[in-house]
Amino acid sequence: MAILPVARLKLLAGILLALFLVGGIVARAGLTRRWVVGLGLEQTRGVELRVWDWWSASTNEEYGDYFAAIEAEFEARNPDIDIVYQVVPFGNYVQKLSTAMVGDTPPDVFQSSVYWAEGFHHRGMLRPLNDLLDADPAVPGTPSYVGESAYLPSAWRHNHTQGRGGKPPVVYGIPQIIDASCLLWNLDILQAAAVEDEEIRALFQRRDDDGAEGDIDWTRIRWDAIESWDHFRRLTRKLTVRDEEGEITQAGFVLSSSSGAGLFSPWLAANGGRFQDAAGTRSMFASPNGIETVEFIARLYWVDRVCPPFRRQMTDSELFKERHAAVVAAGTWSGKDITRDTMGWTHFGKTAFPPGPSGDGPSTVTWGNMLVITQRCENVDAAWRYVKFVGGLEGSLLRSLHLGYNGPRFDFYATERWQQALRQRPYLSNVKQICLAGDKLRHTEIIAVDHQANPIVESVLLHYPEIIDGQGPYPSVEVAMKTAAANVDNVYRRYNEQVESWLALREQARD
Amino acid sequence: MASRALWAQRLLPYLYIGPALTVACVFSFVSMGISMWVSLHDFDAFAGASEFVGFDNYHRALYSDDSYFWLAMRHTAVYVVLSVCGTLLTALPLALLCLRAKVGQALFRTLYFLPSITPGVVLALVFYHIFGNYGQLLDNSWTALPALSLLGVWAGAGYNMVIFLAGLTEIPQLLYDAAVVDGANRWQQFRHITLPMLRNTLVFVTVMTIIGSFQVFTSVYIMTSGGPERSTEVIAYSIFVNAFAVAGQMGYASALAWLLFAVIFVFVFLQMRVFRSRRIYD
Repeated sequence: MAILPVARLKLLAGILLALFLVGGIVARAGLTRRWVVGLGLEQTRGVELRVWDWWSASTNEEYGDYFAAIEAEFEARNPDIDIVYQVVPFGNYVQKLSTAMVGDTPPDVFQSSVYWAEGFHHRGMLRPLNDLLDADPAVPGTPSYVGESAYLPSAWRHNHTQGRGGKPPVVYGIPQIIDASCLLWNLDILQAAAVEDEEIRALFQRRDDDGAEGDIDWTRIRWDAIESWDHFRRLTRKLTVRDEEGEITQAGFVLSSSSGAGLFSPWLAANGGRFQDAAGTRSMFASPNGIETVEFIARLYWVDRVCPPFRRQMTDSELFKERHAAVVAAGTWSGKDITRDTMGWTHFGKTAFPPGPSGDGPSTVTWGNMLVITQRCENVDAAWRYVKFVGGLEGSLLRSLHLGYNGPRFDFYATERWQQALRQRPYLSNVKQICLAGDKLRHTEIIAVDHQANPIVESVLLHYPEIIDGQGPYPSVEVAMKTAAANVDNVYRRYNEQVESWLALREQARD
Repeated sequence: MASRALWAQRLLPYLYIGPALTVACVFSFVSMGISMWVSLHDFDAFAGASEFVGFDNYHRALYSDDSYFWLAMRHTAVYVVLSVCGTLLTALPLALLCLRAKVGQALFRTLYFLPSITPGVVLALVFYHIFGNYGQLLDNSWTALPALSLLGVWAGAGYNMVIFLAGLTEIPQLLYDAAVVDGANRWQQFRHITLPMLRNTLVFVTVMTIIGSFQVFTSVYIMTSGGPERSTEVIAYSIFVNAFAVAGQMGYASALAWLLFAVIFVFVFLQMRVFRSRRIYD
């Protein structure tokens, strides 16, 4: 049967459309780059630098602006280098990297979370940066210097080994961002309560040292405003509002039972305890400080009743964004997301965690992501130039400009850009002090550790009254914590045995 | 000449199935072989090296004090039972109702089938909020696993309904006509004609549901992460955590995967034997 002209036209149009779509995808995916270069239509660059990151323009277009700015600035100064960014989702990072390592196609540089960095180093994946730092001509105190003295101690402590046995520490990353757990306060709620409450009024900063009544800065809470756990308990009780039936309509505090060790760690740090020893060989949270900490958190829920019922489906940040919570535990980075999700609300502030009965002062836990160079990187010079640029002051300023992040460098906090950010977003004002006050988040195997500790901490929080009555899943909080600690110790033992075997294998390979 | 033709005739089918067999070999059997090899080693992909440990990983999974294998298997078994019962109790009635619908059968078929073509992550996120807003089923150790199986049943009901529908349309109408003449009521028709004639379909649906349920992962990963209090920790989630969240445990995770394979194999083998041993009709 002959094809009718109209049908033939439709067929032709269909083929053209399909070709157009396929061509577009091919061009967009960069598959035509070699042809274009071959035709001389694009200036060739000597070195292609492959950079992996989980920040992606597909999750937030601001990341696209940031990478475009970094690429433009860096390539303008380094005409021989072509940066090729590859986005790898955070959840797939480890799998993709292991695949790339096995397939011998790892990136040259990548952003590494504190979750994995030390583990990657143990596996011999990362290039030590000590020689590059030693040979670097940049002088301490200059914007391009990326040595230890340029960074907040809390940012630098995640990127190197302990240097045991007389060996110097091995630096395997250059800090890119610094984060900390903090308490996030709804200043609208506080300001309303402060009208009739001097104790709440005293939480706010003053505009000058005179301390006159009219000089309260309602946009800023003091970073160490909460003096003790008792003070926190008292405040959250005052800020909890119930309806006629006793249901909480405004939570003094929000607890997520499933947060487990993540929620527990900063409170423990503020109570003078540590989750683990510095080398990561054994847990330390089943100590009297740790038990005291878990009991404090459980009592906030069960005795003080300042929290709404545990719900996995409603995160504490969701309740905070809905303005139904006076205070939640969050990350210092979360302010920007809250502002975005609430269409511009910025009237909240951050404090460190108040000291517990055994604590010395306000504290928290900190973590930092870093740029690392892979062991198989063939263009170390180009990679180091990139790491220096992103880890230097200019990189910090670009991240502040495009992403709203604070920086891990000391000099960043003295710039006009930071002052401008503080004027636009006063909630950032305490970030530096909070980060400086923090202890180190457990360094590696975080997910494995959480897998062991979380369900038990969750059990304690969910069944605290029964445990106290001797009817719970554990005979006491202490037994529960010791069980969790034993499980976590097993993770550390296995991991450290694994590290030893990796080292032995590398020694064998060298011989 | 005749023998060459005979050879060609014999070889030709193998040539036809060759490409598919090659793909299956490379991506299934070779992968399975590698996985078995990994399960016998202390293996880490990053380090690119390994040490032979024999059956240590299996021994650890089955006998170690800190192993969650049996806990995860128990949860998985509960999930499988709930899912199989739920699937049979929803998909078959839906198929029967659809078959009887004189108007809009295609519409109902499409609507019920929609969850099957919706990504599991999307379904998990939707149900995460549904369960949160109505009943808070995921907050309780006793209700979280049944809630997950409810999602599994709902998501698979449409697909299984279509399979049952295909089986039902294969049943000759004259059997029902004869039954009516003999005075059989609807229940008797269902009991003595529909169910026996659907035997092969029932076996297929049950086997596939069992296999799928043993491998449940997405909903657990998205909705509960094994909680609350480890009450939804199933074997596939346990394999994932050990493979990708714990350094150097790929060998142990592979051993868990092979134990899961063994359990599924035994279940399916027994089921096939039991059903094959009874001839319902000829």
